[in-house]
Order: sequence, then structure tokens, then C-alpha cells
Amino acid sequence: MGHRWDFASVLDNHEALLAGAAGTLRLFAICLALGLALGLAVGLARSARSAWIRLPAGAFVEFFRNTPVLVQILWFYFALPILLPFEVDKLAAAALGISLNSAAFAGEIFRGGIQSIEPGQWEGARAIGMTQAQAMRRVILPQAVRRMLPALTNRAIEVFKMTTLASAIAYVELLQQGRLIASLNFNPIEAYTAIAILFFCCLWPLVRLTYFLERRLARSD
Amino acid sequence: MYRWDFGPVLANADLLAAGLLNTLRVTGTALVVGVALGLALALLRLSRRRLASWPSGFVIEVFRTTPPLVQLFWFYFALPLVAGIEMTPFMAAATTFSIQSAAFFAEVFRAGIASVERGQGEAARAIGMTRPQALRRVVLPQAVKRMIPAFMERAIELMKTTTLVATISYADLLYAANEISQRSFRPLESFTVAALAYFVVIFAASQAARRVERRLAASGDSTVR
Repeated sequence: MGHRWDFASVLDNHEALLAGAAGTLRLFAICLALGLALGLAVGLARSARSAWIRLPAGAFVEFFRNTPVLVQILWFYFALPILLPFEVDKLAAAALGISLNSAAFAGEIFRGGIQSIEPGQWEGARAIGMTQAQAMRRVILPQAVRRMLPALTNRAIEVFKMTTLASAIAYVELLQQGRLIASLNFNPIEAYTAIAILFFCCLWPLVRLTYFLERRLARSD
Repeated sequence: MYRWDFGPVLANADLLAAGLLNTLRVTGTALVVGVALGLALALLRLSRRRLASWPSGFVIEVFRTTPPLVQLFWFYFALPLVAGIEMTPFMAAATTFSIQSAAFFAEVFRAGIASVERGQGEAARAIGMTRPQALRRVVLPQAVKRMIPAFMERAIELMKTTTLVATISYADLLYAANEISQRSFRPLESFTVAALAYFVVIFAASQAARRVERRLAASGDSTVR
């Protein structure tokens, strides 16, 4: 009780925090880009007519949605290198785990978005001479993405939160740096509180943006 | 070519089983406390008094917005020093995940209660029920049925999130796999078995949830997300 808060001991280590923030942002950017791109591919594959494409994509989604991300990250870091002739570094292992997990969830968002577009849109696009691929790119996806926006920003928030799991394999990101600062300065209260506040400040605007998009979508549909 | 050998991992099956049991223990505790606390948070949030609705809204937003691992570290490393109490890894895990689930469940409760037509509450008041009675006997029973799919989805998410407890040395399934990996020098087999074990349990739960959701959809009742 009566703890005297001393955030100066955390701010003295602002270089370590900056390095952590850079690590968090790097991992977030990689995982978001890879997760969305792969997710689109998976979503298209799951909407394919051929079972040879649809079923493997379905198995991928089920596997990655139904296992914990931390298990995937540890698997890629400790287990995968045994099967490969080279090392898997911390960034690669964390990025693989989080991106593939995110791709599975994003794939379901894309599939749902594409399916939500009325068949008449397809028929109209085909009727004016577009190929299947053109219709998808120019007519279906632009409308589907608009409907998916709240779900996608939500996914971005989840990915941002997941980047903290990389600290389990000692990848340099914000939480890992917080842990370092706490152990060097014996100030876990301030260090972890500061990290929590930092994450809250980064994510709160994204959360508000999601609410805003949801409300706007609810009104326009 | 690598030669797989699951022998050393299977020889420690008892460790894995004990780990799975601990995973279920944390999940179960957080689920029970989370639902009860979540209902309380939702009712406070819906209250017309700002003194009740704002603090509850604050707790809900903070726990939904910050990463679970940051919360877990805070409760394990920082809270004991702030409050001057001892925290075992289980206590830290149970506390973190209970409050965190409560924050998510509160939003589910809120959406469920909001989805029940206003007329239901008004009719209950008209026949002489007090507000709490109307809530307990008329609104909540209808709301809860619509919330079932969202509850199940959250429970499954919770089980996946509990793997984080391995980072504070609570002996859950993932921790047991890591232990076996270090003892046997067989990380590939250890983590593969752990991943498969999680998949079997969580996939089964997801399928059960899907079946219930389909049955609810077939009965023609709406659900909330």
C-alpha cells in the first residue's frame, strides 16, 4: 500500500521503449499486410467451385482458427527449424504464427463479404461482358470490402494485440522492453502500467474507428 | 531426412494430461466468474446513473483494448507490489482472464438486453413487476437465449488465450509441452503434439458450438453478436 509512483525510472529508458515500439510496429505491419493478402487468397479459394481448391483452404482455416496463436509461434520458433536446413529467427517465427492465424480469420471475413453481395451484381457484370475475374475485381470486391471494413479494422486491432506474444520468444517489442526495464530498475509497477497505457493509447483510436464504421454501415444498409 | 520419434513425448503423457487439466481449470474459473461479473458490469453500464455507468464502461474498454498478455504481466508482476499481496500464477491467471472475459461478456449481455423489444419490459412493468423483476423474469431469459452463440464463441477464444499462462510458469498444456521439449530435446514432436491436442479440444468445442447455433437458427430466433 502507499506505493510512491515513479514513472521517471521508466521514461529514463525511453531509448529501450522506442526500440520496442519500432519492433512492435514492424511486426504489426508485416502481419497485417501478410494476413490480409493471404486472407484474401484463402477467402477466394474457399469460394471456389473446384473442391480441390476449396477443401485445402477450408482445412487451413479450421486448423489455424482452432489452435492458439502462442502455440503456433512456439512451433515455428522451436519445432520448424528442425525440419529446415536453416534457422528461423524470432521475427520470422512470430510473423509466421500471427500472419497465418490472421489469414485464417481474415479469410472468413472475405468469404462472408463476397457471399453477401447479391447474385444480380455478378450477373450484371457478366452480362456486360466482364470475365469472372474482372467481375470479382471491379464489381464484387469493391462493394464487399466496404461491408467488411469494420470486421477488418477489428482484425487489425487483434493483430496489434497479438504482437505482444512475440515477447514469449524474446523478440524485441514493447512488452519485452517493459519486462527488461522492470527487471533492470526493479519498477514492475510503473513499467507494466506504462506499457499498458501505451497499448491503450495506440489501440483506442482504432477501436473508436471500428465503432464509427459499424454505425455508418448500419445506417447505410 | 529427419526421423520423427514421438516416444519421449508419449512417455510423458501424464504431464500433458495434467497440463490439459490445468488449462481447463483456468478456462472454467474465468468462464464462471466472467459471466457473473460480466452481467454485473453490463447492468452497471446500462444504469442511468453516471457514477455507475462510467466506471463500468472504463473497466470494459480498458480490458477489451489492451493486450491480454500485458494484463497478465500486470496482475502477476505489478499488482502484488501495489496491493502488498502474494499472487500465485494460478491466481494471477484466474484474475486476469476473469476480468477480461467479464469485459467481453458485458458487451454480449448489453447487446442481448438491447435486442429484446422495449415493449417486453414495458408490458412487464404494466402488470406490476418492479424493474429488477421485469429484468430477471422477462427480459434476461429472452436475451440470454440470443446470446448463446456469442457466449460459446467467447468461451472458445478464452481457452485459446489461456495458453498465455505458460509465460508466467503456470503448468498448463503448453507449459508441459515446453517442459517435455527441453527434457527430451524433441521440440518438433513436443510442440506438434501440443498443437494437435489443442486442435482436437478446440475443434470439438467449435463444432458443438456450430451445432447449437444451427439449431437456434432453425428455431427461428434471432441471435446477437
